[in-house]
Amino acid sequence: MATFTEHLRAMGAEGVAEVLHRRRDLAAPPPASARALAARASTRPSLDRALARVDAGVLATIEAVLVLPGPVTGDAVSQALGGRADAWLDTARDWALVWDDEAGLHAAPGLAELLGPHPAGLGPSLAETLARRSPEALAELAAELGCATDALAARLGEPETVSGLLDRAPAGARAVLEALAPGPPVGRTPGPGSPGTGAVGWLLRHGLLAVGDPQHVVLPREVALALRGGRLRPQPPEPPAAEATPIDPRVVAGEVTGHALEAVRLVGTLVEMWGAEPAPVLRSGGLGARELKRVAGALEVTVAEAAVVVEVAGAARLVTDDGEATPSFCPTTIADEWAQDDAARRWVELARAWLTAERAPWLVGTRDEAGALRGALDPAHRRPWVPRLRAAVLGVLAGADGRVDAEQVHAVLQWRAPRSAPTEHAVRAVLAEAALLGLTGAGALGEPARALLAGWADPDAAEPTPGGVTPEAAERAAAALDAALPAPVDEVLLGGDLTGVVPGRPTEALAALLADTAQVESRGAGLTVRFTEASVRTALDTRSGEEILAELAAHARSGVPQPLAYLVTDAARRHGQVRVGAAGAYLRGEPAALAALAGEPALRGLGLRTLAPGVLVTSAPPAALVGALRAAGLAAVIEDADGTVVHTERPRNRVRLRHRPPAAPDPELTRRRLLRVATDLLGVGTQADARDGAADRETDRDGTDGTPEPSETLAVLRAAVATGSEVWLEVATPGGPSRRRVKPLRVDAGRVRVLDAERAAELTVAVHRIADARPVEAPATTEREAWTDH
Amino acid sequence: MDGPLIVQSDRTLLLEVDHPAAEEARRAIAPFAELERAPEHVHTYRLTPLGLWNASAAGHDAEQVVSALLDHSRYPVPHALLVDVAETMSRYGRLQLVDHPVHGLVLHAVDRAVLEEVLRAKRTAGMLGTRLDADDVAVHPSERGRLKQALVKLGWPAEDLAGYVDGEAHPIDLVTDGWALRPYQQQAADGFWHGGSGVVVLPCGAGKTIVGAAAMARAGSTTLILVTNTVAARQWRDELVKRTTLTPEEIGEYSGARKEVRPVTIATYQVLTTKRKGVYPHLELLDARDWGLIVYDEVHLLPAPIFRMTADLQARRRLGLTATLVREDGREDEVFSLIGPKRYDAPWKDIEAQGYIAPAVCTEVRLTLPDGERMTYATAEAEDRYRLAASAAGKNAVVEQLVARHADEQLLVIGQYLDQLELLADHLDAPLITGQTTVRERQRLFDAFRAGEVRRLVVSKVANFSVDLPEAAVAIQVSGTFGSRQEEAQRLGRIMRPKADGRTAHFYTVVSRDTVDQEFAAHRQRFLAEQGYAYRIVDAHDLDAEPL
Repeated sequence: MATFTEHLRAMGAEGVAEVLHRRRDLAAPPPASARALAARASTRPSLDRALARVDAGVLATIEAVLVLPGPVTGDAVSQALGGRADAWLDTARDWALVWDDEAGLHAAPGLAELLGPHPAGLGPSLAETLARRSPEALAELAAELGCATDALAARLGEPETVSGLLDRAPAGARAVLEALAPGPPVGRTPGPGSPGTGAVGWLLRHGLLAVGDPQHVVLPREVALALRGGRLRPQPPEPPAAEATPIDPRVVAGEVTGHALEAVRLVGTLVEMWGAEPAPVLRSGGLGARELKRVAGALEVTVAEAAVVVEVAGAARLVTDDGEATPSFCPTTIADEWAQDDAARRWVELARAWLTAERAPWLVGTRDEAGALRGALDPAHRRPWVPRLRAAVLGVLAGADGRVDAEQVHAVLQWRAPRSAPTEHAVRAVLAEAALLGLTGAGALGEPARALLAGWADPDAAEPTPGGVTPEAAERAAAALDAALPAPVDEVLLGGDLTGVVPGRPTEALAALLADTAQVESRGAGLTVRFTEASVRTALDTRSGEEILAELAAHARSGVPQPLAYLVTDAARRHGQVRVGAAGAYLRGEPAALAALAGEPALRGLGLRTLAPGVLVTSAPPAALVGALRAAGLAAVIEDADGTVVHTERPRNRVRLRHRPPAAPDPELTRRRLLRVATDLLGVGTQADARDGAADRETDRDGTDGTPEPSETLAVLRAAVATGSEVWLEVATPGGPSRRRVKPLRVDAGRVRVLDAERAAELTVAVHRIADARPVEAPATTEREAWTDH
Repeated sequence: MDGPLIVQSDRTLLLEVDHPAAEEARRAIAPFAELERAPEHVHTYRLTPLGLWNASAAGHDAEQVVSALLDHSRYPVPHALLVDVAETMSRYGRLQLVDHPVHGLVLHAVDRAVLEEVLRAKRTAGMLGTRLDADDVAVHPSERGRLKQALVKLGWPAEDLAGYVDGEAHPIDLVTDGWALRPYQQQAADGFWHGGSGVVVLPCGAGKTIVGAAAMARAGSTTLILVTNTVAARQWRDELVKRTTLTPEEIGEYSGARKEVRPVTIATYQVLTTKRKGVYPHLELLDARDWGLIVYDEVHLLPAPIFRMTADLQARRRLGLTATLVREDGREDEVFSLIGPKRYDAPWKDIEAQGYIAPAVCTEVRLTLPDGERMTYATAEAEDRYRLAASAAGKNAVVEQLVARHADEQLLVIGQYLDQLELLADHLDAPLITGQTTVRERQRLFDAFRAGEVRRLVVSKVANFSVDLPEAAVAIQVSGTFGSRQEEAQRLGRIMRPKADGRTAHFYTVVSRDTVDQEFAAHRQRFLAEQGYAYRIVDAHDLDAEPL
């Protein structure tokens, strides 16, 4: 019988290269030998990775190979699954998860542990369960069934035997077996006197159940298969039919353009908002919940939508933590460049940032394991798997012709990779974000997003590595969006009720003008605004009333109605009725005397201005003014707010320092801390370290032809488990290395369970204590020979 | 795609009026969308659940609504909105109110789960009787209106198949000698009759009384008409005698002065809501006869107690009439759910274009207060400011100037503050009508005005509603009830009867600049501006230069 290593070797360089292409983790760093490759391919992390990427059909096939009685053939697998499994088997072989030789199909070593303890919901084989019984009991049963003791397992596994026995079984026995048959195969042993005791006892006596442990019974594999009618599952595995509901592409295009423009607008508004007033960064690094709520209020969206907008702006690097002493989120210069682009290109930037962002906006506002709120833009909440999830979800949509709902997308992903499928909640969230950003419309993928996706993930790559979108794809996406966008409208219809309507998407210039001068009443395909005195007033800071009216008139097809003209003129007239300026000090007194002072050459340096008769101001501080006046021969005094004269003191310049309490060392605290450090250092590790050190030295001394790489040790052990063969195991013990001939039973979680045949005892050995493991038939030599053969 | 309609994501529909296909689009969306604003260029409609359900009640289905939106829209219609329309409309009629031959009024479930949900709702507590079977629950007949209201609030509006009582038959016919129902009046009366109950919205002066008379003729039964005041009651009586086969003997007046119950009875809201010792002694009028039709004039003024009483009258046909269904208390929805949905509504400017109401020019005259008054205003307490600004002395001169300009026309000066009005009456040498003027005196003065013997009247808010002065062509408003949009519209309505020579009516409102008076004026004008009446603004000192 061949080994997995031999199988790999037999695949040839091309075959192995194919496997390495699918399972990149096997290639880096390059394995030294076929044995090393086999060893690495049977480690838990590598198998986990491979299993995470195969579909449910392949998984079911591997399970079938694992549980079917050998020799396993392709036909047997197909029969057990209830449908042709050839394609799945091929895939499994390509991934080196299944291999075959003259003795039939085998699952790669290590898979049994990974898919256990009950693959396909099946328990241990009859051979195993019967081996645990006394020879007398076996002989009795063999006599009852009319067969030899060593043929007992085969006989009991026949469906006819099982059904024949069940026909004679006491009441309730069939129900017990039927409850356990679909898996899991473990049931609780009924307590003495409880109703099922008799039936379970009878089943145990007849070998149809076995004792698992004192509290549990277990259904042997062959019996379960017989009860399942030879099939592993009631229905053959079948990919879910993702039925796309056909939808008018124009509807999709309409939705996509609407949402894309809205997304661009929302991000633009956020940038402007934070440009005017940056948002504080929490001490933990994110955006506070209250701040996010403020954003939601200003953008008139829900908090969840605001989280997406903020995260997308962050991912596109339009806003960032400014890193100041009191940090705040502030727009970047990239945002300025972005704002110069046309709408379609701005959208492409946002969409690609979202696609590749390792962020999960839908988790903002939920609590983490420690109970702390997850904030938006928190650098700690990086999630590298999110781009892959987006690729997978949008990939399903890309393959469908029409709308697909979240449930169906989830079912497809569940089939494609059952061991790494996202939750339905995450799928829903990704779809909602895609709709919000205009990648999808009415549940179907939009054309711009399709163009973007085409240039994103390399479809042939074993693992879709989201590294960004190619510039050509971005350009195509922008062109697709541009083509779908309605032509911008450069006119506004102004009504006598002080409203204005843009019958379509306003041009940039018109949108900017209206944003400055009016309040938006409704958005959508068109834009409705209302002019109020307050809305006009903000615009008056940057231009005059006449300018506003001229600009409006330039865009108004039907002219500016008189009430609007009056509104603007009135607002302009009142604008600046009250004025504010800065002054350091004032000077008041007799108007005539002050008028003379204003012209005094000695005081020219103070820049005295007449504000009103009898009042002069200067930007100089009061003390300097007094000094200058006194120098000019005027007896000036300083007054306070009530007009009371204040006596001046000499200036005393000081630097303000805050008192800090001296850092008094807390003797108790220091002692405790030191103690803890010492305990950590000494406590757990010491003895173990000493032992390990000894073991290491032992290995170094004479372990040159052993298996120094732990993964190879494990591979040897796994292969032995798979074939049921024995190995020589050298274990480091406190008293020096000990060498035993054992039969490995299970390899699991850093421990190996072995049967020491000589001492008839089962023991568990920690893997890191194993210095050497080699097959009893010394395959090492065979291997060496094989190499020399080549 | 180049339709006149733009569908916004907030469920408003923008209709570009100058578009060649605008009229067609308007007809398509009118059954389910509420007209919200109708200024010059773009009219705004809104989709509301109530509007969609009314459309369902009138036999429209979601497919028609969706296709109307798609057909006339210039841009793609938001998908979520279409889904929502279909979903909202599918909620209508899952429950039905039916007249069971044995159990009387019964709430019948077409969808059992909805009935279960409704039965457990707090809102319907006490309205439903015994459960008859899995799908039927008895309803107390008196709870019909309240139940329907509650079901609308729960989002499961019931289809009312229980019908109306015919009432006591009383033949009434229109006497069309020398006049005929105008097309819109006919449409309004038909719309009402097919719907069974509801509200007709027509501008002042467009002949709402005629619509009422036409509805009475269709009903051919005893009718109770509820009006705002005695003067209006007498106008209704005169109009009915003139336009129908009814004789003065068949029409009774039920007011403070007289308590007559006749086949057609006209009662005032005031007398019905008079409360003595905690009871409404005149409420029995509602049950005095087996009325076949109840008409609510100026339904926007419906007082709260009448709301409650109306809930008990759901088995009788109800017609609401108004020009301005805007209530500053925001209870428009209650009017719709108790009287019935809007059965007819037309923008004022449309009726004006057809020549049925006088074209009107609205002008706001802005008066700059002299410095002394500005200072007084600036330092006044907030609650006195409106009064100070509204009754500024400078307004008198402006009014005189305006009166001089319209020396040959029948003219009304309307205001809020009695001392201001007294002063004006004095200046203009015109009679004054206020709340203190007796009904007889009012009647006499109005008659004299109609006959042209008196050319100018100074009136307080008593003349806001239901005073029919066909020849009044100019109104000057000097002060009002703060920012009431509805008062402004009703006051304009006083001068909108078409004039014999087709003259344009003039509505002036005199406003003190830079005061709350100006702010309130802006708010007051909103309804009319939304109906397409653009105010021209003139400075008081430019008045002479301004052409008429």
